[in-house]
Amino acid sequence: MTLADHWHELVTASLLGTDRRDPPAAPVGPLADVVRDTVVPTSSARMLTAVGACVAARRAGMQPLAPVSALGHPAPDDRPMLRVAAATRWRTVVDEWPVLEDEWLLEVERGGWRLSPDVLVGLLRRHRTDAVRRARVARIGGPVVSWLIAVQPQLAPPAGARVAPGVDLGLPGLAVPPELLALLDAPGEAFGGAVLAGFTSGAFGRAHRAVLVNAIARCRADALASLAASLGASDVPDEALGVARSLADLAACRQAMLEELMP
Amino acid sequence: MTWTIEQVVAIAPTPSAFAAADALALTSRWSSLGADDRAAWGRCRGAGREPYETMVDHAEVAWRCSCPSRSRPCKHALALLILWVRGYVPVVVAPPGVHSWIAGRRGREARDPTAGGPRPGAAIDDAEAPDPSPSDPPDLDRLRDERVARLHAGLVELDRWLDDRLRTGLADAALARYATWDELAARLVDARAGSLANRVRRLAGVVGARPDWHEVVLAELGVLHLLAQAGQRLPELPGPLADSVATACGWQVRQADVRAGVPATDTWVVAGRSDTREDRIEVRRTWLRGHTTGRWAMVLEFAAYRQSLDTSLAPGRALVADLHFYPGPSTRALIGDIHDVHDQPATVGAPALPVDTVAGACAAVGSTLSGEPWLDRVPATVRAAPARVDGRWFLSDATGSIALVPGAPGLATLLAASVGEEVDVTIEWTTDGAVPLTVHLADRAIDIGPRADPSFVSAA
Repeated sequence: MTLADHWHELVTASLLGTDRRDPPAAPVGPLADVVRDTVVPTSSARMLTAVGACVAARRAGMQPLAPVSALGHPAPDDRPMLRVAAATRWRTVVDEWPVLEDEWLLEVERGGWRLSPDVLVGLLRRHRTDAVRRARVARIGGPVVSWLIAVQPQLAPPAGARVAPGVDLGLPGLAVPPELLALLDAPGEAFGGAVLAGFTSGAFGRAHRAVLVNAIARCRADALASLAASLGASDVPDEALGVARSLADLAACRQAMLEELMP
Repeated sequence: MTWTIEQVVAIAPTPSAFAAADALALTSRWSSLGADDRAAWGRCRGAGREPYETMVDHAEVAWRCSCPSRSRPCKHALALLILWVRGYVPVVVAPPGVHSWIAGRRGREARDPTAGGPRPGAAIDDAEAPDPSPSDPPDLDRLRDERVARLHAGLVELDRWLDDRLRTGLADAALARYATWDELAARLVDARAGSLANRVRRLAGVVGARPDWHEVVLAELGVLHLLAQAGQRLPELPGPLADSVATACGWQVRQADVRAGVPATDTWVVAGRSDTREDRIEVRRTWLRGHTTGRWAMVLEFAAYRQSLDTSLAPGRALVADLHFYPGPSTRALIGDIHDVHDQPATVGAPALPVDTVAGACAAVGSTLSGEPWLDRVPATVRAAPARVDGRWFLSDATGSIALVPGAPGLATLLAASVGEEVDVTIEWTTDGAVPLTVHLADRAIDIGPRADPSFVSAA
């Protein structure tokens, strides 16, 4: 009798209890010796000893199970994996500046990067029901996406969540009012100066934060460093301080994001 | 001031402690022995890699030793006193360490003239934070004796309760009632056996929750029986085993005492971390592995509702640091001084983790469990590929396979990282299966372990 067989007998006997059924005899050997040495020789005490000894022996003698056939492989993907900083940035973008996520995805594609495993799974879960972004992730994800969905069906999109043919998978437009459109092509200092002046004069209020965020998310990339510097400067007027610091953080985040995704 | 051997016997916590010290009072076991008119000191070779640094203030009766023993004074301090009383300790000039310890004591005596005398609660350096325990030794002894008696009574009651369960059977309807378990857990809390109480409460949630619950409950009852029996015989057990049993029963060790031990200095790689909710507390286990020693260490952290868990020990990070291990074979440790930090494997100088085959990992886990079968979790790092049979996931290589815990949270990321190939992954063995914690790629470590609910605690 093996230890596993004896364990199953103990489990069966334990269901009924030793008041109704005697504990099974331990297989001859050290286990039987331990049970024989039980201090209080009642059925339940011997059973407890047998259970404790059997558990200890089974754990100590832990064996691997037989090898399992490997899964199939997706087609090879030779693209370099995203830098660690870029993968970390995606989490920051999602948590703090989701307005940048579409650009992050497109820059990944433009740079020829392969998504790191954690980011790929995160994107598939996050955009499971968003057909357009889902299609973008599937395109960037490469051959591993369909393979992964085959082995983890819960990552598949819901039935019917498909992109209609002809839908633009490029960078979506963001709402920017006409008076701010000129700032999109302006140098960073001019953009920052205009924002601060607007807050000082009362032309901008807290309600403008959303459109200013959109403008910074779509402004010239080479303006971001000086824009972040001017919005983060120490002489920002008090009435604009909170918003300016927040917008400076956005500009700095976008600039770092673009640098991390450069090929 | 001269002492007699009877005075040494008088300060020994138990007669057996004096007997153990007497066996150590051989000059061949000691180096750097010395004494002056205030103190005696020396280094005693023990079970650890480093000798224990021991010093005794024989004028004001205090002691300091780097051994992890909870006994105060420890056998090393007693042995040093025995050697000194018997005239085996030469009179020499005190080294700087002894000098500063004595100077610190003199300073405190000057500030508080009542602070003299033995303070058994102070483990290594009584210049540290105020000791919350009473300073009167008889008081301390009485409290300790009371606590031991209470624990003993709790263990006797636990074993009686276990016996009743085996007598009436696991099909007994009483087991389905939470109160059946909770009342026992409450009594174990009263007996200061908090760890056992937690195990009992966890079992309450297993009854009826899965098809094989009888098997799970029976195995845990067996483990509780082992602990109840061993806990009643602590003085008869070998030291490390006694420490392990005491810890598993819930005997608390003060952090100050742990930090007083000789630290293990190494480059400690954060191999993985896992969060679990226990009662109303979130517990984070962070597993570290010594690059030089290969030794595993576990840093535990707790957070209640709305508190934060430390996020500094990110998987892949390597710390050149001093770790202070709890007594016995425990992997639990406290982080002491950190000398350097490497952020990710790609960082220059950050070492890779040693990796096992599946069979090798099973053997290592089994070896650990043979010494401490009550452990809930044992870590391992394996190179294996995820594979599936009949809907159950495994990690497999040519030497065998190990089942993953059903619903492992990081499985999808593990699959995406492996793309069907073998990959280095740190797992945590549990009785339900292996929990994948970290995938180790060439340039990064990806944290896939179970995470605390962010609505409960902050634990990024």
